Amino acid sequence: MAMTSLKTRMLEVFRFRMYFFIAGVSLVFFILMVQLVNLQLLKGKEYKTKSRMNMENYIPIPAPRGEIYDRNFQPGTKNVVIVSNRPSFNISTIPANFKETGELHKTLRLLSRFSDISFQDVVDDVKGRNPWERVIIKEDVDFDTIVRLASHEDKFPNITWEDATVRVYNFKNMFSHIIGYTGSISRKEYKKLKKYGYKHYQKIGKSGLEKAYDTILRGVDGYVRRIVDVRSRIEGEEVGLQPVAGSNLILTVDYEIQKVAYDAMGERSGAVIVIKPSTGEVLSIVSKPDFDPNLIISKDNVKVIEELQNNSERPFLNRAIQSRYPPASTFKLNTAIAALEEERWQPEKRLYCPGKYVLKGYIDRDFYCYAFHGYANLEWAIAKSCSVYFYQLGYKIGPTIILKYAKYFGLGEVTGIDLPGEISGFIPSKKWKLKTFGQTWFDGDTLNLSIGQGFIAITPVELANFLCGIVNNGVIFKPHLLKEMRTPDNKLIRVQKPEKIKEIPLSPQTIKVVKNGMRLSVKSGTSAGLSGLRIAVAGKTGTAQTRSKRLDKFTQHAWFIGYAPFDGPADRAVVVVVLIEYGIAGAATAVPVAGRIFSRLMSLGYF
Amino acid sequence: MFGKSEIYRIDYLLVVTVTILVFLGILMIYSAGFDPIDKVNNGLFKKQVVWFVIGFVLMISVSFVNYKWFGEYSLYIYIFLLSVLILTTIFGSPIRNTRAWINFGFFSVQPSEFMKLGLVILLAKYLELRERDIKNLRELLVPSLLTIVPVFVIIMQPDFGTALVFIPILFTMLFVGGADVSHLVSIIIIAAIALIVPMILTYREWIGAESSNVILDFFKDVDLLLIVSGILFAISLTAYILHFFLIKKVYRKVYIPSIVLSLGLFFSIAIQNLLKVYQKKRILVFLNPDLDPHGSGYNVIQSKIAVGSGGVLGKGFMKGSQSQLGFLPEKTSDFIFSVVAEEWGFIGALILITFLAVIVFRGMQIAFESKDKFGALLASGIVALFFFHIFINIGMGLGIMPVTGLPLVFVSYGGSNLALSMISIGILINIRMKKFIY
Repeated sequence: MAMTSLKTRMLEVFRFRMYFFIAGVSLVFFILMVQLVNLQLLKGKEYKTKSRMNMENYIPIPAPRGEIYDRNFQPGTKNVVIVSNRPSFNISTIPANFKETGELHKTLRLLSRFSDISFQDVVDDVKGRNPWERVIIKEDVDFDTIVRLASHEDKFPNITWEDATVRVYNFKNMFSHIIGYTGSISRKEYKKLKKYGYKHYQKIGKSGLEKAYDTILRGVDGYVRRIVDVRSRIEGEEVGLQPVAGSNLILTVDYEIQKVAYDAMGERSGAVIVIKPSTGEVLSIVSKPDFDPNLIISKDNVKVIEELQNNSERPFLNRAIQSRYPPASTFKLNTAIAALEEERWQPEKRLYCPGKYVLKGYIDRDFYCYAFHGYANLEWAIAKSCSVYFYQLGYKIGPTIILKYAKYFGLGEVTGIDLPGEISGFIPSKKWKLKTFGQTWFDGDTLNLSIGQGFIAITPVELANFLCGIVNNGVIFKPHLLKEMRTPDNKLIRVQKPEKIKEIPLSPQTIKVVKNGMRLSVKSGTSAGLSGLRIAVAGKTGTAQTRSKRLDKFTQHAWFIGYAPFDGPADRAVVVVVLIEYGIAGAATAVPVAGRIFSRLMSLGYF
Repeated sequence: MFGKSEIYRIDYLLVVTVTILVFLGILMIYSAGFDPIDKVNNGLFKKQVVWFVIGFVLMISVSFVNYKWFGEYSLYIYIFLLSVLILTTIFGSPIRNTRAWINFGFFSVQPSEFMKLGLVILLAKYLELRERDIKNLRELLVPSLLTIVPVFVIIMQPDFGTALVFIPILFTMLFVGGADVSHLVSIIIIAAIALIVPMILTYREWIGAESSNVILDFFKDVDLLLIVSGILFAISLTAYILHFFLIKKVYRKVYIPSIVLSLGLFFSIAIQNLLKVYQKKRILVFLNPDLDPHGSGYNVIQSKIAVGSGGVLGKGFMKGSQSQLGFLPEKTSDFIFSVVAEEWGFIGALILITFLAVIVFRGMQIAFESKDKFGALLASGIVALFFFHIFINIGMGLGIMPVTGLPLVFVSYGGSNLALSMISIGILINIRMKKFIY
């Protein structure tokens, strides 16, 4: 009996403890249920997406990027194609599809032996990226390689290839600063553009029109939806979305003019702008030195890009819109206009030039003219570019009025040309000088300003606009390179209309005097190199003196601005601006370039 | 051998539930074994059907063997299984780098599975024999040794997951067998201290944590730690001697915590300094798979995706993309629960868990109602065996338990585990029959 009672007591202890066991088991089942509810009911949607991402492989079908033509484009005829596309392939992968990094590395190593892929570069690229994002291993792979790859498909799990056309810049360097180039979207750009539907593996316009009209050129990528298993074996495939090709651009640029300007510049660095003042249509923009976009579009050419970027000549700089120079003697036109408009300056008034001008003051200072000119009226002063005349003119009217007119013409502000990265010139002011140098505006500053030297610096495109304003009787249109947009099957989408940006009420007398002065310059002045042309050209040279930070020495830049025909209707006029860096003087280097452009314009029937 | 009356006492609830579970498992093995691209089935489900038939015969047969018989021969069973286990570990042909199987040509057997039951039987017998002295700390030594030997052998195979499941079974049996709770808690605390400190240090080293921490810096100083551990040990010893002579409860309050701390620190030093960095990292990844997203973490992520994407109603039989397209690894064994959850959704998973819970709670009821201590302990050991497999396996599929490679009893593919589980059910049925006799 005692035995049994002990046994019973022991069993009671056991049963008491069993309660705890039962409680523990119940708690665990409860926890499992909670997690099940959490995963399936609360986070079900999220995991459904993840499971779809696992099995669905979206192979992009890149949309063909729009082509670019020059202004003479006619549908249905043989046209000058500035930028076209060539069929090619990309090899890509999604790193997360590999179960282990080792497996990814193994496949990549095999692939690098298969074609010229740098294993290390790809591994570096994959690192730090979201592993679910497609990584392009190799761009611009030819069809033969793809065929070989496809025949060994089983050795390359998770490796896919897709059509990817390659941009072809048919005239290489010639259009480099107009067209720009495309490149793989950088991480920074991707962050910014993600919300506009850009994909991290896509190409994007990096500069020039490729960048300015990227949204129009790019089209919409399509994709193939594939159901794959863990080893990338394909269970099903369908086209999810057909790509929409990007639109074509027809430019205002004339291939022939671009070519002649490009050739005329030769190896010299500088810029050329050819523009129609009546509409703002740009016929040509050349900036030297330049680059070949074909060499830098590929993902593999980071080094080439770096080299170009570090080149002290700065070939990526579009000097027509991204570089400032003192306008020098070309600015005398502005001084003349200001004087004529505001001071009722008599253009016939003759001033004497003894070769220098003495500025009276505490200490007298001499301001030199480059030659002895004797007596000259305003037109001859423009023609001969007599600085002494303009010193006196400028001294009389003062800096405020000179700068007022410079601003009327839009100097020192961006023109709004449809190229990215345009900078504005710089127009000084009394306030600015006080703030920067702690000095008041001296008369010497005024004299320098009146001949376009000193603090003032402007971009070539601003100067082109300035001349357009004179030629077009005070009306300035926004310079633009885009003429029309067309669908790939040549349906017109949009025609760029001229956009008036400035209207300066200049009196016809003023314009006449300035134009006559410019014409005289060509006939028997500083621009006499153009007198032999069969078309009446009017122009103005300039020689800018600057202290180059880059080369740490004083340099000269040669300017020529001019237009033709001299007194023809404004809507047929064409303005040419030539800047040559380190040119000897406007007359010697810039004028011949302009001469070749004018004669080509003439033979093409522009006038 | 058995009378008519005994047939009526077969626990049909268990038999029916087990049959349903195995049937569900076979359906899932069929689904998971299908390759939707090559349109073939790997045929594992057929083997499982055969094992079920064998298991069913074993279950019914065992249910008519008096469970006390197992108690009588428990030591022999244990020694026999242990020998087989050791021989397998030494001479077995490695399958996936593990010497865990004896190959009989057309089928193979995993002795470590049967070892689980062998240990449970022996522990039940031992705890029954020692029930009066079990509150003594030294009585825990034998059960611990009995457990540690097979655990060590299985780790040598190496099969970490299977080895580890023995530990919670041991603790559960010691607990219900009447061991002093303070002893059990002390052991758990010692183990926790021994593991947590080196793991935190390893983790910080791994992720390259820079900020220093006064407490953690203390644990880096081995000499200091040894001194502290020694001092604590001395305090504990003194208190114990005083307790031995003066017999005052006060001293218990001193020597137990100090010995626990002392030993915890000591083992923590041992783990910290004797294990190589990669071994510590392996334990760390085992505890937190997210640290290794391409290795075991991959499995957990894929399993959670499978479960989560199943939603309320599931993707449908044989339509689970995670399992069908192979993203879910080990889908017929370790992650079969995830296949159920993916294809049959919350409803299916709920039904499966319910059936598993029925077995566990029925088993606990049998243990509770048994009038014999051995039967009660044996039943609770078997329940613990089932329960920890279910807990760890489903927890693993749900991403809240480490990936251990334990099968889900009755459901996962695997003949040895199925046979073992069904034999265990047979024993449970028999224990239940006997309650009507006394």
